[in-house]
Amino acid sequence: MNPFISIITFTTLILSTTIVVISSHWLFAWVGFEMNMMAIIPIMMKNFNPRTTEASTKYFLTQATASALLMMAIMINLSHSGQWTITKLFNPTASMLVTIALAIKLGLSPFHFWVPEVTQGIPLSTGLVLLTWQKIAPLSILYQISPSINMNLMLTMSLLSILIGGWGGLNQTQLRKIMAYSSIAHMGWMTTILPYNTTMTLLNLLIYVTMTFTMFMLFIQNSTTTTLSLSQTWNKTPITTTLTMLTLLSMGGLPPLSGFIPKWMIIQELTKNETLIMPTFMATTALLNLYFYMRLTYSTALTLFPSTNNMKMKWQFYPTKRMTLLPTAIVMSTMLLPLTPMLSTLL
Amino acid sequence: MLKFIIPTIMLMPLTWLSKNNLIWINSTTHSLLISFTSLLLLTQSNDNNLNYSLTFFSDPLSTPLLILTMWLLPLMLMASQSHLLKEPLARKKLYITMLITLQVFLIMTFTATELILFYIMFEATLVPTLIIITRWGNQTERLNAGLYFLFYTLLGSLPLLVALTYLQNTTGTLNFLLMQYWTQPLSTSWSNTFMWLACMMAFMVKMPLYGLHLWLPKAHVEAPIAGSMVLAAVLLKLGGYGMLRITPMLNPLTEHMAYPFLMLSLWGMIMTSSICLRQTDLKSLIAYSSISHMALVITAILIQTPWSYMGATTLMIAHGLTSSMLFCLANSNYERIHSRTMILARGLQIFLPLMATWWLLASLTNLALPPTINLIGELFVMMSMFSWSNLTIILMGTNIVITTLYSLYMLITTQYGKHTYHVNNLTPSFTREHTLMALHIIPLLLLSLNPKIILGPLY
Amino acid sequence: MNLFTSFTLLTLLILIIPVITPSTNIHKSNKYQTYVKNTVSCAFLTSLVPMTMYLHTNQEVLISNWHWITIQTLKLTLSFKMDYFSLMFMPVALFITWSIMEFSMWYMHSDPHINLFFKYLLLFLITMLILVTANNLFQLLIGWEGVGIMSFLLIGWWFGRTNANTAALQAILYNRIGDIGFLTSMAWFLSNMNTWDLQQIFALNQNTPNLPLMGLMLAAAGKSAQFGLHPWLPSAMEGPTPVSALLHSSTMVVAGIFLLIRFHPLMENNKLAQTTALSLGALTTLFTAICALTQNDIKKIIAFSTSSQLGLMMVTVGLNQPYLAFLHICTHAFFKAMLFLCSGSIIHNLNNEQDIRKMGGLFKALPFTTTALITGCLALTGMPFLTGFYSKDPIIEAATSSYTNAWALLLTLTATSLTAVYSTRIIFYTLLNQPRFPPHITINENNPSLINPIMRLMLGSIFAGFILSNNIPPMTTPLTTIPLYLKLTALTMTTLGFIIAFEINLNTQNLKYNLPSNPTKFSLSLGYFPTIMHRLPPDLYLTMSQKLATSSLDMTWLENILPKTTALIQLKASMLTSNQQGLIKLYFLSFLITITLFTLLLNCPG
Repeated sequence: MNPFISIITFTTLILSTTIVVISSHWLFAWVGFEMNMMAIIPIMMKNFNPRTTEASTKYFLTQATASALLMMAIMINLSHSGQWTITKLFNPTASMLVTIALAIKLGLSPFHFWVPEVTQGIPLSTGLVLLTWQKIAPLSILYQISPSINMNLMLTMSLLSILIGGWGGLNQTQLRKIMAYSSIAHMGWMTTILPYNTTMTLLNLLIYVTMTFTMFMLFIQNSTTTTLSLSQTWNKTPITTTLTMLTLLSMGGLPPLSGFIPKWMIIQELTKNETLIMPTFMATTALLNLYFYMRLTYSTALTLFPSTNNMKMKWQFYPTKRMTLLPTAIVMSTMLLPLTPMLSTLL
Repeated sequence: MLKFIIPTIMLMPLTWLSKNNLIWINSTTHSLLISFTSLLLLTQSNDNNLNYSLTFFSDPLSTPLLILTMWLLPLMLMASQSHLLKEPLARKKLYITMLITLQVFLIMTFTATELILFYIMFEATLVPTLIIITRWGNQTERLNAGLYFLFYTLLGSLPLLVALTYLQNTTGTLNFLLMQYWTQPLSTSWSNTFMWLACMMAFMVKMPLYGLHLWLPKAHVEAPIAGSMVLAAVLLKLGGYGMLRITPMLNPLTEHMAYPFLMLSLWGMIMTSSICLRQTDLKSLIAYSSISHMALVITAILIQTPWSYMGATTLMIAHGLTSSMLFCLANSNYERIHSRTMILARGLQIFLPLMATWWLLASLTNLALPPTINLIGELFVMMSMFSWSNLTIILMGTNIVITTLYSLYMLITTQYGKHTYHVNNLTPSFTREHTLMALHIIPLLLLSLNPKIILGPLY
Repeated sequence: MNLFTSFTLLTLLILIIPVITPSTNIHKSNKYQTYVKNTVSCAFLTSLVPMTMYLHTNQEVLISNWHWITIQTLKLTLSFKMDYFSLMFMPVALFITWSIMEFSMWYMHSDPHINLFFKYLLLFLITMLILVTANNLFQLLIGWEGVGIMSFLLIGWWFGRTNANTAALQAILYNRIGDIGFLTSMAWFLSNMNTWDLQQIFALNQNTPNLPLMGLMLAAAGKSAQFGLHPWLPSAMEGPTPVSALLHSSTMVVAGIFLLIRFHPLMENNKLAQTTALSLGALTTLFTAICALTQNDIKKIIAFSTSSQLGLMMVTVGLNQPYLAFLHICTHAFFKAMLFLCSGSIIHNLNNEQDIRKMGGLFKALPFTTTALITGCLALTGMPFLTGFYSKDPIIEAATSSYTNAWALLLTLTATSLTAVYSTRIIFYTLLNQPRFPPHITINENNPSLINPIMRLMLGSIFAGFILSNNIPPMTTPLTTIPLYLKLTALTMTTLGFIIAFEINLNTQNLKYNLPSNPTKFSLSLGYFPTIMHRLPPDLYLTMSQKLATSSLDMTWLENILPKTTALIQLKASMLTSNQQGLIKLYFLSFLITITLFTLLLNCPG
């Protein structure tokens, strides 16, 4: 991509999300969403080929629909209360429509279809942006309107997402799709706790972003997009196989890795609110995710796949891709658990 | 406790920075030294617990298990040497690191004051164990075994997490030292029933209870030697330890809830011992025998009498050493015969007479010969079961007979009889292996001189 | 008084020394056997001191040495009971072991592991002495299981032979079945009396219910090879002959009877226990005597005769005469050990030939053994003024003069006369007539290690009964007068047996060969007992464990219920939910439907 365009699009991307996050006015938030969509589409089409075209088209259509719905909801709320303030969303219909619109943007369960396909169609780095940065804006709105969200709607969608996120990933060999489904499941966890304790949502988002970032960085470093090519990691960078495994297990939420923090905190919050069956269900369903992460760890670190690769000595060469942030990210995405008290007061 | 945890952690740099030919010897000697310092824990004060901090403590229940854990690390290192002979250096170091990590987690599990910390560490032990099983196991079935191991345990223990947070919210603390003063008698409502199940299931899967035991033979059979050893010796005991810790908080509900589980484990005890009699696979036989012994521990804990608690703690230690030793022996066979099938390793007494002595001693302790601590454990459990219901003596007695039969069947098949021809050019046994066996059997014999120290907190 | 404890403990200590010094040089040389033998004889002499003192003062002693653990209110100490039974039994056991060890030096001299063999024998002896001197049930259990395991090791001494291994496993299996009973009693005493100390149990106990006594009975039946649990004893003859002599005739197998004698204070008021003992003993003594009739293996005949004598001891226990039973234990030990040593001498001289049909005419080749064998046989049958007479005769007398089961009595009497029959048969086949063994065998019995022990035991078989019977305390029901015909019953039955047997044996040359009759088949195949009990239940059980426990439950049901079903459900669900078509139209349709649905559901309450 042309560096000039690149700068513009990335700046717009950052700016738009910032607009959504800081605005208290519905219109600005909406504008922010639109800008965000406009900015990400060129990034998606960085490598111009039919797949990216298809992916960005799908992305455009769903996001546009979501924006339209959002606008409609804003209008309904406006006509009922005459308010543009985000936090003052009193109309139930409007609240519901906003929630649905944001759910489409986040890719929550009945509206999740686009996520794996779009992620699969775009380059890894863009996928990283899509699955992390792009979640911030909708979640910030949800964060603000959390008191007026219809709890039944929210919980239905989030529990469904956890289930779908688990089941969907079982059926995949493509890393980007797996990451997409994992994102769906994580979004489910984040939105489950949203009506109860929004801080936990942010905490979960933080950890999720860290882990996904690490995972994508590892994929980018090894240029892998399938399970099969992931199994060749050991002859490129042997050390990262172990680290990949740990990060994957952390994503699965195994104690004592960082991924356990949000699970634990969310379960704790839910039991505080006298719901016991739901956290049990969620925790058990999270095992589905763990299963497909396990499969990835098997192929990456725990077994040596039979391979026809003759370049077994790649590790001797100096890596061309420099990942400055990778060690920090790996440490953060695996070893944060002892810092849980700090993290839970930080937000 | 930091005086054990920090040295154990420092074993990792020791391993990585040691000279290449010294990694085994360094890690083994130093871990042995650490395990000797752990004997200091045996001097218990009068109030029955050594309160080192708010995070870690030890009492007569955890101390024997803790010492067992620390004792086992040098043994595991010794046992694994020839398994890893052909691995590159980095992998050897990684393997040792995994064992040390596991050790750290186990120490923290047994000494945790808080139930949540206990829970986290309980789960944390899964990761290194899983890596050991699936990375260094031999057959392809190890992948399946690893999955079974991980998912059975997790499925059982996730409800525990929810139950623990619930307890935290209602009682305000999960501290072992405080909880005994805080807990209220539980009524027999449905919700309490489910809480009981959630609390106990995790440990019952880990023990394992019959019916939830499928992961165990798979994991034991597929794991490399150190994995089998630590699984049999310590990881199963996590279940028993957890149950012993958590039952005081679930009273008096346990009396109502215990029946089906008691029945299941009594039945399972007979069933699994029967399975042992038909095993052709040496490691599988030892694994099933573990299940049958652990069923005794489950019943003992569920009937909740002082005698049975003492029996349970004793049996855990005794079984830990015995089954670990049996696995070592099975492994030394495996390294020579390259098969776990018993029929291919007949008549080894001719070739390896000293090894046959170890086999004999291990089998005899496994069948609970007096006055070993295995017998003390089983006897106490039997006695308390008898006073719970006289009829259980029939099942217990049958189990004793079957246990004897399969232990001696194993001994006779592998050591006695005519040898097969393909074992003619057998490698002689190493001093290392003999040391390993001796280090298992000596504590067993010495403990039978003074079993007080492993009788648990109620002694 | 101190000599009691100090000398008894000294006896045990002396025995332990050769076991606990494994690194000394003597263990590697062939002096070790002599060393062990001398140790045992030393211990024998030491043990005579407390015995004599006991006979002099008639005072029992209990000592508690070392406090092991206290569990709640139960105190377990290392505690020895020195009463009539233990103090009498120790010299007898040591004397016999001494002789047998000396004999083994000759019999086992070519075995490469002979030192280990001696160590095993010594360990066995120690556990046996622990058993008899134990004052609490736990210590008793140590000895009890110890002798069981040592018998396993010694029966399986020739571990290359499948038969030996099977026999060893059989022995331990039957012993373990008996252990269930022992453990039941332990549990009962613990939960009802809160003690395992014998004297406390006896003191606390007035009317013991049936359960613990039946447990003890089961234990005794297992250890002493009573009917139902008897097949292991003849199989145990797979072991070396010294082992058979020591374990399976004179010491270990009497442990069961010894247990019942120990617990006699509890049994004497319980009718059911006594009747059981009586009937069981009578059945055993007859059944095994019948089995002994047609055996051709010399060791098996003697083994069955042991079993029969054990039955007789059981009968005596059932007759409420524990002292008589004990007397019979001691006397039986002498002549039975000697019989085994004689058979060992024959077997070894005939180049490991055990079949009596291939012997014959040995009275010329082995004169000394012949003398001993005949003395032993006569003592076994209860010939007057030999050792057996002093115990067997009072037993029959007590039986005939008591108001007990006439049926059991009849069985016992029949067995007594059968004893004479099979004894005659042994003599007839092995010693008399023409030799039937290959001519090139070199027979030589002139070895001090062979002569001395047999000589000692022969003296014992002749005089021990007299000495021992003069030293037993008064029986529970002293008999003052007895009619002549009752006094002569035992003798008559025995003589009858002798006469019949001689008659038949002498006729063997003239008899025509017939197909085996049904009674012969019954006796030859040991009452069809092993055929049925060693085939059917194990077969059923192993089939059960394979089909039900392994295949059906473990590998099918449990696999299917939890892991497989879960996996299947997840698989289906995953296929169902992730079948992405990539058609954006469909996705939008799903969006539309969902939104409509939510709107309807959430906005129309009602």
